[in-house]
Amino acid sequence: MAETATGDHAERSGVPLIALHQVTKRFPGVVANDAVDLTLEKGEIHALIGENGAGKSTLMRVLYGLYPPDGGHIEVHGEKVKINSPRAALALGIGMVHQHFVLVDRFTVAENIILGAEGGPLVDLDRAVKHIEEQAQGYGFKVDARKRIDDLSVGEQQRVEILKALFRGVEVLILDEPTAVLTPAETKDLFENLRALKVDGKTIVFISHKLDEVLDIADRITVLRRGKIVGETTPSDTSKEKLAEMMVGREVLFRLEKPDVDSGKPLLQVEGLNLASKLHDVDLQVAAGEILGIAGVEGNGQRELAEVLIGLRSPDSGRITLDGKDITGRSVKQNRSLGCAFVPEDRHERGLVLNMSLWENSVLGRQSRAQYLGGWGVLAIKKIKELATRLIKEFDVRARSIGNEASTLSGGNQQKLILARELEDDPRLLIAQQPTRGLDVGAIEFVWKQILVQKEAGRAVLLISAELDEIYELSDRIVTIYEGRITGEYSPQDPPEKLGIGMTGGRGAEREAS
Amino acid sequence: MTGAFAFAALIGSVIVIAYGEDPIFVYRTVWAFGTSRPQDFAIVLENATPLIYSGLAVAVAFKAGLFNIGVEGQYIVGMAAAAGAAITMSGLPTALLLPLVIVAAMGGAMLWAAVPGVLKVKTGAHEVVTTIMMNGIAVSLVAWLILHPLRSGVTTTDLRTEDFPQSALVPNLATSLGIEDVIPDSIVHLTWLFPIALVVCVAVWFMMFRTRLGYEVRAVGSSPGSAEAGGVSIGGTQIKIFLISGALAGLVGLNHILGDTGYLGSNYETGLGFSGIAVAFLGRNHPAGIPLAALLFGMLLRGQDGLAILTELPIEILIILQGILILSVVVAYELVSRALARRRQAQLGRAAN
Amino acid sequence: MPLVDLGAAIALGLRYFTIIYLTGLGGLFSERSGIVNIGLEGMMIVGTVMGAWGTVTYGPVAGLVTGAVAGLLFSLVHALATVTFKVDHIVSGVVINLVAVGLARFLSQIFFGQATQSDPGIPDFATIDIPLLSSLPLGLGQAFKGMSPVVLVAFLITIPALFVLNRTRFGLRLRSAGENPEAAASLGVRVWPLRYAGVAISGALAGLAGGFLAIEINGLFREGQTQGLGFIALAALILGNWQPLRLMAGALLFGIAQAVPLRLNDAPVISLLPEEFIRMIPYVITIIAIAGFVGRVHPPAAAGRAYEGAAT
Repeated sequence: MAETATGDHAERSGVPLIALHQVTKRFPGVVANDAVDLTLEKGEIHALIGENGAGKSTLMRVLYGLYPPDGGHIEVHGEKVKINSPRAALALGIGMVHQHFVLVDRFTVAENIILGAEGGPLVDLDRAVKHIEEQAQGYGFKVDARKRIDDLSVGEQQRVEILKALFRGVEVLILDEPTAVLTPAETKDLFENLRALKVDGKTIVFISHKLDEVLDIADRITVLRRGKIVGETTPSDTSKEKLAEMMVGREVLFRLEKPDVDSGKPLLQVEGLNLASKLHDVDLQVAAGEILGIAGVEGNGQRELAEVLIGLRSPDSGRITLDGKDITGRSVKQNRSLGCAFVPEDRHERGLVLNMSLWENSVLGRQSRAQYLGGWGVLAIKKIKELATRLIKEFDVRARSIGNEASTLSGGNQQKLILARELEDDPRLLIAQQPTRGLDVGAIEFVWKQILVQKEAGRAVLLISAELDEIYELSDRIVTIYEGRITGEYSPQDPPEKLGIGMTGGRGAEREAS
Repeated sequence: MTGAFAFAALIGSVIVIAYGEDPIFVYRTVWAFGTSRPQDFAIVLENATPLIYSGLAVAVAFKAGLFNIGVEGQYIVGMAAAAGAAITMSGLPTALLLPLVIVAAMGGAMLWAAVPGVLKVKTGAHEVVTTIMMNGIAVSLVAWLILHPLRSGVTTTDLRTEDFPQSALVPNLATSLGIEDVIPDSIVHLTWLFPIALVVCVAVWFMMFRTRLGYEVRAVGSSPGSAEAGGVSIGGTQIKIFLISGALAGLVGLNHILGDTGYLGSNYETGLGFSGIAVAFLGRNHPAGIPLAALLFGMLLRGQDGLAILTELPIEILIILQGILILSVVVAYELVSRALARRRQAQLGRAAN
Repeated sequence: MPLVDLGAAIALGLRYFTIIYLTGLGGLFSERSGIVNIGLEGMMIVGTVMGAWGTVTYGPVAGLVTGAVAGLLFSLVHALATVTFKVDHIVSGVVINLVAVGLARFLSQIFFGQATQSDPGIPDFATIDIPLLSSLPLGLGQAFKGMSPVVLVAFLITIPALFVLNRTRFGLRLRSAGENPEAAASLGVRVWPLRYAGVAISGALAGLAGGFLAIEINGLFREGQTQGLGFIALAALILGNWQPLRLMAGALLFGIAQAVPLRLNDAPVISLLPEEFIRMIPYVITIIAIAGFVGRVHPPAAAGRAYEGAAT
């Protein structure tokens, strides 16, 4: 186990544990961190909040040695240090748990934890397992160090990430959006663990954009906007609205105008859908002019559900009916022509072909339609380019030319292009899967507005999202999904805790009882 | 790109100097042997012809993300099929026989490509391994065909098929154009297959960039998930393009048996399939780059003869040079496209996350 | 006598097994570090020509060493292209194979005065007879008489290979580089040296196998003598799910398959086929094996994917 520099110097009054002075980080074309001053004290939970792109992850990556700062310096216990690699950071007692876990799925917990800190040229797994399990118990975690990572739940995997850092004797633990992948109950567990660590004298940096959680767990809150610190406060001195305003710099609408549309009979009906181990007896329905939100933590069958509905996969059993017509097992092509549209969660893997041009991308999904083909399978280039120009204009996609490759667009503009393309045919059913992931606030608002426009126009919308904000914002009705089952039906008036129970298949309730 | 060439030339020069020869002389010789007389250039074009077809075959498969390393076996089978057609239907007039022979070649090769193609789509068997195995099988199969069913009835010490009827042969280009005194058809076997190869390049370009099939092929090769979400059948597209690749491969051996020898002997020309891979990479898998790359290779092949006569250099030098050239080009391309991608990222101002 | 032939077939099959297994084992290290290695054939080719030279000049053991060293050095080109320049692994492998042929001709010209082969009759190893097994009745004992010691080495090398892979720091880190290099890097592990090592091991073993082929089986260097064995090794690796023991099973299967056209042409059924068709048997078996089993295999998760990122 690494010796830490921070462990011994206990209470040197006045000197913060870690201080960032005027730290600046530039990337070509943008200043990610602009002369940031930040201090971290021993035994505190410090939240770092801001929108996507505000610079909070970058700042912590500088602290963790992943990026060299372009300006400013870092002090640990008042002494200037140079952190030029994660190894150096770990030696100083700084550890980081990333938003997307970096675990080797096929390795066991023990192998993952000792990787890089094996303590010698040979590897003694038995000794490592013992050591890890003991340490974990000391912090109130429970872990089976012989289990393979891909056999663990997301919450358990996160614990492994935290243990990885603790194993190396860190005193400062940076968590990047840790609750993005947790259910409300798992979040509760995490917070308990974090508080235990705090009592033990550890410092936690909690990067998040979830203001409710931040107000719950943090001792101090620092707000970043466009690379600069715009405020520092404590939960008692602030509110969700004030924090949001600081984050965005303007008053943020938390409630969009939701049009009231009389929904009629169900347009989409799903009965008894089963798919291998991923979906079990899924029933749901969406009416025209209605938005059904499917809430759940990622990895509970949402992707499979979307793919079955759009036709990328065939279910093992069950029925899907669109406006009375049975479309079970039909192909994507057929479903599109029947009026289904699909905004995928992964723009790059399921939405656009990045190194094709914008005009080529705009016809993807429609390339076999007669209007875009001449004779003999030849593409009607002119018509396709006209389509592209129109789509880009209508949806305000910022692009210099339709001949540019799709990879030249920003994430928000890529999403807009996909949306424009999918809505082009006035589809009757829109399946939107995590439609605003990774987008900035402006783009999120745009996408949300578009979805509401569809509702107004009498279309049915199936919204699959892991962001409860989004679910609440847009849905008329909500269902929760857990381990491939629909576990509950709710209304937007119900509080998130109630949804949380559904999102954990009812296990959440049990835990509260004990 | 020029950097890659310069680098390869540099390494080549170093090797040449190590041999005590003058690099400038070497390059000049290679150049001269390919360009000094019209007939020399004609030989260069003759060399290039099969490489164009071979490069196209590899490239179209690559566009779909598939590696057709089996062009070698496919063209051999194509030659055997062509031989079979030419011999069994020898009574037909040229207008019928020649097209039939060509179709037979393409069909035979296509069949040979179908096996790894279908296996890949249905079982996921890696096409690199299966196509190479098919190459091995092809060599044995064609050897058997030449020695048994297709064997020449005329007693001869050569192991070969009958001579093909005149009506099955592709006319020599020089002879057709009436310039055979400048470009003797006994030495130069540049046939109409060369201009046809250029036409095929255009056709391949058109297919790739102006038809729905080409569009879907490129989508599958680039982003199969997005293509699938766009209603494209990945397996179907892969099989189709692999078959087209095989058909193109079938044309590779035709200049040899229908323009040069007039029969299929057991010492048929080999290596054209592998050279095609090199040509395809050098030509960036594009129908415009491939003829140029093929031309370069044709020139180097011709230059080998010059070097053998005029220098002490082992001709294998050129093979090494070719190898270094391809490596440099491939690396250079990678470096350049990454640099461009980085610049683009910067322009988007994507900082963190 | 069919059974005596069977013994002889097994004996030859074991020699081919050695080549396929050693090459496949090298490929295992490369691929489990994350670098797909289609160029095994090329590395083997380099091993044949250099191994032949080494043997002619200094003796068979030296020949194996020179073959291995040559293969290792040559493989560094693939490593440079894929790890440092991040060229597509398969493209690089294909080019490596093309270059190897030319390089072999070049070296052969220099060493042997002929481009495509050396003179036959290069010295080989003293053979050994396995006690007990070589007295097996029914001619099977033939399989274990006159065995090249290298065959034994091939079997035995499995033990240190497994040990290194599963019980050493190097092995753990190597495997992490092939499963999730980002995870390894985030823990301060340097990915690129591990991948270079993986490729180098594959080059050395393929080169060694090539040397063995030239020395023990063919008795000379000859262009084309590798006959796709490098790819067959790859197929064995895939079949073996990238694990040494299963690779061994696959290599035994393919090794024996190689021996069939050479020693079993008089066997029942097989003798009915024309000679050229018998020669196809190893290839057909490989295709069937790989087409039949591929669905159930799991390559290292990050193999073939360039590792983008600071090589901390």
